[in-house]
Amino acid sequence: MSQAFLRIQQLDKQFGQDQILKGINLELTKGQTLSLIGASGSGKTTLLKIIAGLERADQGEIYLRQKRIDALDPQQRKIIYLYQDALLFPHLSAFDNIAFGLKLQKAKHIPAQVNAMLEKLGMQDQGHKMPHQLSGGQKQRIAFGRALVIEPQLLLLDEPFGALDPEIRSHMQKLFKNLVSSQNLTAIFVTHDLKEAIIIGDNIAKIEQGNLIQYDSKSAFYQDEKSGVEDEILFWKHLKNETNED
Amino acid sequence: MISKVLKYSFAITVVFPIVFLLGLSLAQQWQFPEILPQEWTFQHWGNSLFKQGDILESLFLSLGLSLTLASLVSVLAFFMSKYIAYSKHRQLYMRLTLVPYILSPVVLAVIFQYYFTVANLSGNFIGVLIAQLFFALPFGIVIFNNFWNAHLKSIEQLSFTLGASSRQSLLKVILPLSKPAIVLCFFQSFLVSWFEYGLTQFIGLGKVKTLTVMVFNFINEANVFYAAVACVMLILPPIILLYLNKKVLILAR
Repeated sequence: MSQAFLRIQQLDKQFGQDQILKGINLELTKGQTLSLIGASGSGKTTLLKIIAGLERADQGEIYLRQKRIDALDPQQRKIIYLYQDALLFPHLSAFDNIAFGLKLQKAKHIPAQVNAMLEKLGMQDQGHKMPHQLSGGQKQRIAFGRALVIEPQLLLLDEPFGALDPEIRSHMQKLFKNLVSSQNLTAIFVTHDLKEAIIIGDNIAKIEQGNLIQYDSKSAFYQDEKSGVEDEILFWKHLKNETNED
Repeated sequence: MISKVLKYSFAITVVFPIVFLLGLSLAQQWQFPEILPQEWTFQHWGNSLFKQGDILESLFLSLGLSLTLASLVSVLAFFMSKYIAYSKHRQLYMRLTLVPYILSPVVLAVIFQYYFTVANLSGNFIGVLIAQLFFALPFGIVIFNNFWNAHLKSIEQLSFTLGASSRQSLLKVILPLSKPAIVLCFFQSFLVSWFEYGLTQFIGLGKVKTLTVMVFNFINEANVFYAAVACVMLILPPIILLYLNKKVLILAR
């Protein structure tokens, strides 16, 4: 048996007559981020929700640190699922949003931990603000802080930067990379954006017609004709040539 | 200009009946074509509150009935509407909530009267409460229907992944967010019960004398001064509730 941090074996999910996920196998090493790409409706969100315990698989096994978790409730998994929308609790300030999980755990030194997280996020003077007073990027940062402060075993991100403009998106990608490496976090990052998948992920996987293909390395992904990387490179080369000709 | 006219028209239509009823309740004699009562008195209020006590008793009975119903409907509709909203058969359940309105409350009462009599629920407080619940509960479910949406479900699920149990999620996330919907449901259910006449009279067999029933009795007896006292008492609690409702909603925002 392999010693993968997260291991999924032969996972199936069906909604009515539609087979969304077929015999999914996946392995993830501790401290790595896996970028997961795929078309809309390909089952990416369903897979993340099954890993988080928010949906039940029809069949298959999920192991986290060699412990089977697919029968556990979401509260017992220490896996956090982050949506495209920051989903801050609107009745709580930014500070209290970050403190939410710590209060549930009855953790010690909550104010100190929350202030340290606000500082990491570059939002030390924004803690008193209510969610409606924050910008989209700030909300997403607080959502990260709320998730990271409780030190989850695994972080699942479902297109978290999808609603942000390109500049903030780029800033958030860097922030995410820094936070993940500083906390040695393991994550699965769903995105539609090929460039984002390459920037964020240590490895890449793709869901197509319910099947998951996990590439051995990033170069294996680039070499796959179906990955779309070649098309992207050709597009930019073509554009560059056209510009030079002009 | 138009908004000012509308504002004053609204104020007049609301304030005038209250002032008129208050005047009538304090009148000893008020004959046409006099604009104001010829004689003023506190006798009707004194008799109602301290001597005969019928109206005061009805006021407390109405308050007890309406507050109990509003509390029950708010709690039951909150949980039932959540079940319905996330059910595969949402459409069917929501159509069923319309049945009491299609049949009308009194027709519903006629249908159920036999069972109320057999269960010894006719002519008492509990019977009227249950009868009103048949009618007000679907109304409460309709009020909560749009509250349970995909966004709220995602927030609830997120709280689970952050470690909250179902109870903690309910107390720390869902209830604070649902405050405006709960207040609205409580207020509307209170009003449904407070002004209910036909069903209360039918199932209560005239023995459950709520304030609304008393008003009709006084009018039937052509006792306009006592009817006015009862009317003023009938109007006051909804106005206080409306004021509190507005305050709570503003605070919730």
